Amino acid sequence: MNAPLIEARGLGKSYPQVHRSGDRLRALGRLLFSRADPDRISVLRDVDLRVERGESLGLVGANGAGKSTLLKLLTGVLTPTTGSVTVNGTIGALLELGAGFHPEYSGRDNIVMAAALHGLEGEELQRRLPGMVEFADIGRYIDEPVKHYSSGMVVRLGFAVVASLRPDLLVTDEVLAVGDESFQKKCIRWMQDYLDGGGTLILVSHSMYHVQKLCRQACWLRDGAVAMSGDVFEVTQAYLAWHERKDGADAERAGARHDVEFSVVDVRLGEGTVAPLLQPGDDLCVRARIRSRDGRDPQVAIGVVRADGTPVYGLASDMEGQSLRRVGEDEYACALVFERLPLLPGSYLVRVHPMDPEGVRVFDTMERPFTVRGSTREFGLVRLAHRWDERGGLG
Amino acid sequence: MSAAALTSHFVRRELRNRFAGSFSGGLWALLQPLLQLAVYAFVFVHIFKARVPGADAPGYVPFLVAALWPWAAFAEAILRSTTALQDNAALIGKVALPREILVVAVVCSSFLIHVAGFVAVAFALGMLGQGVRLAWLPVAVLLYLPLFGLALGFALACAAVQVFVRDLVQLLGQLLPLLMFGAPIFYDRATLPEAFRGLLAANPFTFYAETFRAILLGHGEFDATRCAIAVGVAAAVLFVGHRLFRRLDPHFEDFL
Repeated sequence: MNAPLIEARGLGKSYPQVHRSGDRLRALGRLLFSRADPDRISVLRDVDLRVERGESLGLVGANGAGKSTLLKLLTGVLTPTTGSVTVNGTIGALLELGAGFHPEYSGRDNIVMAAALHGLEGEELQRRLPGMVEFADIGRYIDEPVKHYSSGMVVRLGFAVVASLRPDLLVTDEVLAVGDESFQKKCIRWMQDYLDGGGTLILVSHSMYHVQKLCRQACWLRDGAVAMSGDVFEVTQAYLAWHERKDGADAERAGARHDVEFSVVDVRLGEGTVAPLLQPGDDLCVRARIRSRDGRDPQVAIGVVRADGTPVYGLASDMEGQSLRRVGEDEYACALVFERLPLLPGSYLVRVHPMDPEGVRVFDTMERPFTVRGSTREFGLVRLAHRWDERGGLG
Repeated sequence: MSAAALTSHFVRRELRNRFAGSFSGGLWALLQPLLQLAVYAFVFVHIFKARVPGADAPGYVPFLVAALWPWAAFAEAILRSTTALQDNAALIGKVALPREILVVAVVCSSFLIHVAGFVAVAFALGMLGQGVRLAWLPVAVLLYLPLFGLALGFALACAAVQVFVRDLVQLLGQLLPLLMFGAPIFYDRATLPEAFRGLLAANPFTFYAETFRAILLGHGEFDATRCAIAVGVAAAVLFVGHRLFRRLDPHFEDFL
């Protein structure tokens, strides 16, 4: 029990650049006679990973971050360029759609083949075959060639084999996404049961829901290196926040207005100048100073958006009959407190826009980020007040 | 995972792949060399009037059978396994398995088919009184073992190199017939002009062509020393081929 189920040290993978057929011959010569490294494209660098028996690890990251390459290295499909992988147990892998399936053969034959690749033979295989066929649940298609299958059926077939084998470590790569709703549920149920029974899981998914539901640990890969690893909630929130900032930055470039009749001088959140970290239920204080060019009293609109720009809530001072306090020759100030913030964990922005005295035109924009931390499994942006009615449901 | 069980699985798959969808299935395995034999026999016996020299020489057909069938196994095993990795690129990039198995499966299936054909044809010729010594047939089959080792060694090397240099299979298509005509398959050593006889020793198949005939037809001498050398050569080729394969194995997926 002391040895980790799987451990990777300094794992790296790079591919040679082969453009012309002459490059292949040279590459062969280099491989045979020397160790001089040619031009290579690195897809994974210096990854350390350690998964103990019974753990569940989610791998998250943008497209092309190296998640699939990492899985292939862990399962031994690819050979690492640097570093090493130590495995103390059996691995069942669902790497790519239909990996290892022969399109001309029937589903049943392919199950037998896949089972053989996992070391299942003879009577043991015959005993388990009906169970696999039943788990796949694709009806008469089981005896049709796999080339006639839909992608969902292919996944069902692959999962059926792995489910029956119950390996020490299960590695899956975003294959569940193509299964239909009921099959996804079946797989999730199976995986939870498998984890409860002491199984170990490494899951790649773009669905944070699946990752948070199934995994306790997470690892975020960015550009081929580990950006963050640790508790699943912290990692997935940081990862989502990174996405939101990226999307937000794209949206920002689309249009910033530069009308100078009214402008925002400064916006501060909370006490300091750094982006505050809040817990759900904390108060958030927004202080803003507005400059008015020709001395007219401005109004202000203040809004909260998620970091990707999705609006959460907004209001304007004139709606509530408020006016701004004059603090200088042409400067005005206001302070707004959002009490007991019901926002769910994530990254958000406060946006402040000065408006003309009539509250009709919006001028400048200034944004300040803040983060809500927490480990709730609720979904969405805000917590809606709720209670469970003890008297029960419809009946 | 049991490598032997997996190999047998891949051999069966290979055999099925070869004959899947063809009308007569496994019958082709026997039919194809039989037709080939008929063509050669017609051309050499009736057109070129080929005769095997010597007083108690066997007929030309058994003479040809004893060397042509082993050659078919040898040449086909190498040619087919050269593209074995390339053909299974989809498997190599996605499933963890010892890649040697893919090559071994092709070589095994070629030998299985052609040894079966060899035994059947030799048996038929023996029954027809064509001078085949049926009692020696098991010994002849035993000779397929070093030939298998030799073919596997070449096959591993060719399959590994083919991944990097795709011209190899084209080159082999030219090279193998050269090797075939450079070995005493269609002719006897005695009919070759003195000047060229020395070259025969350089051809790895010469020993097999002559020894199969010595065992099966009693034509020529069975030389234990040459036999030992041949086994040594087969082992050496297998060793080097496997080393080369292992050396290149970690890089296959980069070039497939």
